Amino acid sequence: MLNAPQSASRADQTLSLNMKLLAHHELAGFGGLGEGMGMQLTSDGRRILWLAHESAPKNFSGVDVTDPKNPKLIVQTELPHMKLRSNSLDVVGNIMVVAYQATTVGIKPAGIDIFDVSQPETPRLLSHFDCSGPYSRGVHAVWFVDGRYVHMSSGASDFQPRNPLDDQFYRIIDIIDPEKPVEVGRWWYPGTREGDEAPPPPRLPAKFDTGFRTHNTNVFPEQPNRAFVGYIDGGAVVLDISDMKNIKVVSQWNHSPPFNGFTHTVLPLFDRGLWIVSDECVQDNGADWPKLVWVVDSRNEANPVPIGTFPAPPYDAFAKRGGRFGAHNLHENLPGPTSFRSDTIIVGSFFNAGVRVYDTSNPYQVQEIAYFVPGAPKLSPAGAIQLNDVYVDDRRIVYTVDRFTGGLYILEMNI
Amino acid sequence: MTWSRDALAGKIPVTLVTGFLGSGKTTLISKLLLHSGMRRVAVVINEIGEIGIDHDLVTVSSENITLLANGCICCSVRTDLQETLRDLFAQRRVGEVFDFDRVIVETTGLADPAPVVQTLGSDTLLAAHYRLDGLITLVDGLHGVGQIDQQTEAVKQIAIADKILVTKTDLVMSDHLETLCGRIRQLNSQSPIEFIRQGEVDPKSLIDLGLSSSRASLKTLQFLGEALTDDAVSADVTGRYLGQKSSGHNAAVKTLSLRFTEPFEWLSFSSALELLTTLRGPDLLRLKGIVNVDGDPVVIQGVQHIIDTPVKMDRWPSDDKDSRLVFIVRNMEIDVIRNLFQAVGAIKSASISPT
Repeated sequence: MLNAPQSASRADQTLSLNMKLLAHHELAGFGGLGEGMGMQLTSDGRRILWLAHESAPKNFSGVDVTDPKNPKLIVQTELPHMKLRSNSLDVVGNIMVVAYQATTVGIKPAGIDIFDVSQPETPRLLSHFDCSGPYSRGVHAVWFVDGRYVHMSSGASDFQPRNPLDDQFYRIIDIIDPEKPVEVGRWWYPGTREGDEAPPPPRLPAKFDTGFRTHNTNVFPEQPNRAFVGYIDGGAVVLDISDMKNIKVVSQWNHSPPFNGFTHTVLPLFDRGLWIVSDECVQDNGADWPKLVWVVDSRNEANPVPIGTFPAPPYDAFAKRGGRFGAHNLHENLPGPTSFRSDTIIVGSFFNAGVRVYDTSNPYQVQEIAYFVPGAPKLSPAGAIQLNDVYVDDRRIVYTVDRFTGGLYILEMNI
Repeated sequence: MTWSRDALAGKIPVTLVTGFLGSGKTTLISKLLLHSGMRRVAVVINEIGEIGIDHDLVTVSSENITLLANGCICCSVRTDLQETLRDLFAQRRVGEVFDFDRVIVETTGLADPAPVVQTLGSDTLLAAHYRLDGLITLVDGLHGVGQIDQQTEAVKQIAIADKILVTKTDLVMSDHLETLCGRIRQLNSQSPIEFIRQGEVDPKSLIDLGLSSSRASLKTLQFLGEALTDDAVSADVTGRYLGQKSSGHNAAVKTLSLRFTEPFEWLSFSSALELLTTLRGPDLLRLKGIVNVDGDPVVIQGVQHIIDTPVKMDRWPSDDKDSRLVFIVRNMEIDVIRNLFQAVGAIKSASISPT
C-alpha cells in the first residue's frame, strides 16, 4: 500500500531554492535575535558579525564569520536587567552603537551605548546617551553608517505623546566625540506630541493600531540630506535633513488604510528612482496579512507612486505554519567595506516564510529568485522559524537570524 | 552598484532523455529512480505503471507524484509536460513536493524533442524557472544501425544529442559497436558517447551538460564542444568532422564549424539567424556557439527553429574573441551558411548622424 499523501509544508520542513546552508550557530543557547546586524572588519583582517538580541538577558553577541562555514562566537554580553532589550545596533570601523528599549516607560537605562570594539572580544563602553523619561521606552532602532551621526527611533525625557503608542520619533545624535554624544536634530509626525498645533492623525482600527512612531531612519551617503523613514502607521516619510535644526517633509506615502499599517523600512534605489518599502508583520497566524514589500516610483519626491509589490510567499503554505508570516527587514545596501550593495537584488526576512531574494530589474514584475526557510528551530515557542533580520556581505554570503531560539543561519545564494 | 544577477544560476536544469522505441529508456529510468545519487532530482515519466517501483521504497505518494526513499521525486505526466512542469514548480514553492534541484524528463519514444525545448523557452513560467541542461539520446546497441538507416526520427535524435548512451552493449559484438559508433559520429561528431548495460548509469553523467552560468569560467565553453577550440577548427578545414566516409541514407547530416573574426552587430547577427531558421528551420538540427557582439561574448543555442534566449556572458572565457558557431544540419553546405552570416553581418545598421 502506498502511504497516505502528506504535505511537505510542515514547520519542521526546510525549504530552499538556490540557497544553501553553510552553517548554523545557536549562539550558546541564546538564539533569539533582534534586528541589529552589523559587520566589522578588524585591523587583523577578521570579519565580526555583531548581533543584537531580541530580548533579555543577553545584550549583543559577536560572531567571527571570517570563514562563513565555521562561525565562532567570540563574545556575548548581558543586559543590566530583564526589562530591557537591545534589538538594534550598527558598527562603523571600530565604533558600535547599541539601542536600548525598556518594556515600559520610565525605566532606566534606556537610550544608546557607544562601544569601542577594536578588541572585539572585550567591547569597551565609551558613553551612554540617555533617552529615558516618564513617557519614553528609549530607543528601538539605530542607523549609524557614516561614523558621525546616529539616526534613531527614540523617545525622549521631554517628549509627551498624545497617544502612548506614538512614543518614538526621529532623533539625530552627533557622536563626532563618541564620549560626548549630543542631539542635533529631531522630527515627529505632526499632531502626535502633546501641545502640537496639528490635530492628532486618524488612527487605524484598534486591531491594527501600532502607532505613529518611527522604525527605520536611514540616511545614505548617496544623498546625505535625506532621511528615509518607516513611520509605522504613518507610512513612508522622506525628510530633508540638510538643516538638522529645521527638518522638513519632502515625501509621504502611506498604504494604510486600506492596508494594515506598520511601514518598517524605506530603502531607496538611488540610480533607479525607486523605493523598496517593507511592512512588518506583527501578529501571528496571518492575522494582519498581507504584510508586503512594495515598489514605489519616487522620481518625483513630492508624488511617490506605488507600482507593484514583491510576489508574496504563498499564504496557504505559511499563514498557519506558526508565528508571524510576512515581510520584515530588508538588507539595506549599507555603505562600508563589508556590505553587499545592489540596485536590483533585494534580500528580505519574512518570519516563518524564511529569507527571500528578489530581482527587481523589472520593477513592474519583480521575480523571486531564491529562498531558504529553515525547519522549526528546537524549542521555538512559535513552532516555526521566525527569521527576523538579514545582512548580506560583500562576498554575497547571507546571514539571517531567528527571533526566538534558532540563532544565526549562514547561507550562500546561487544567483 | 554594478553587481548583477547571473541570468542562468537560479534556473532549475532540465535534462531530456530521448531514444527510439525499444532503446531502453524505461530500463534506464527504473534504474535511475533508485540510484543513491538521485536525491533532490525530480524525474518526469510517461506512465508510472511501466516502471514498477517497489512499494517499500516509496515514502510519500499523491495522485501522480511519488517520493522515493533515496529522496528522488517521481512524477508521471498528467495531461501534458508543460502543465506537469508548471505544477511541479508551483508545488515545490508551497512545499507540497520536496525541494528538487533538477529535473530529468523521459520523452516518449516517437516524440520529437524540439517541441519540448520550445515549451521550456516559450512558457513564461517555465522559462523563468527552468533551463534546458541537455538532451540525452539512447541508441539501441542491437538495432541502432538499422534504425539510423530507416528512421529519420532516430537520425534526428542522435544529431541533436548533447550526449549519446548506447544501450544493450552486453548483447552485441565489439565490431558491431564500432560500426554503430561510426554511424553515430557521422551524425554527431562532438557529443560524448557512453556505453551502458541494463540501464546502469551514474546520474552524474547525465547532468551539467549545458551552460549553467553567465559568469565565464574555464568550464564555460565545455558545453560548446571541442569544435570550438583552435584544434578543432583546423580539423574542420581538413574535413575531419565532415563525414567524408559517406554512406547510408544520412550522409546529408553533418556538423559544420564556422569562425568569424569580425564582430557582429546584434541586429545583423540575429537577422541572419532568423533568415536561416525561417528558410531552413527543419534542416537546422542544432546550433551552439559564442558570438562576438560588438565586443561582448553572447552564447547562442538552438534546437531546430527554436533559438534559446541568448546569454550575455560577463566576460570572455579565454583570449579567443572570435565568433565560433557549430551547426548540425541536414542538406546544407558550410559556404552557404558562412556567406549568409558574412553578407548580413556586413550590413551595419544605419548611422543616425544627420548629414
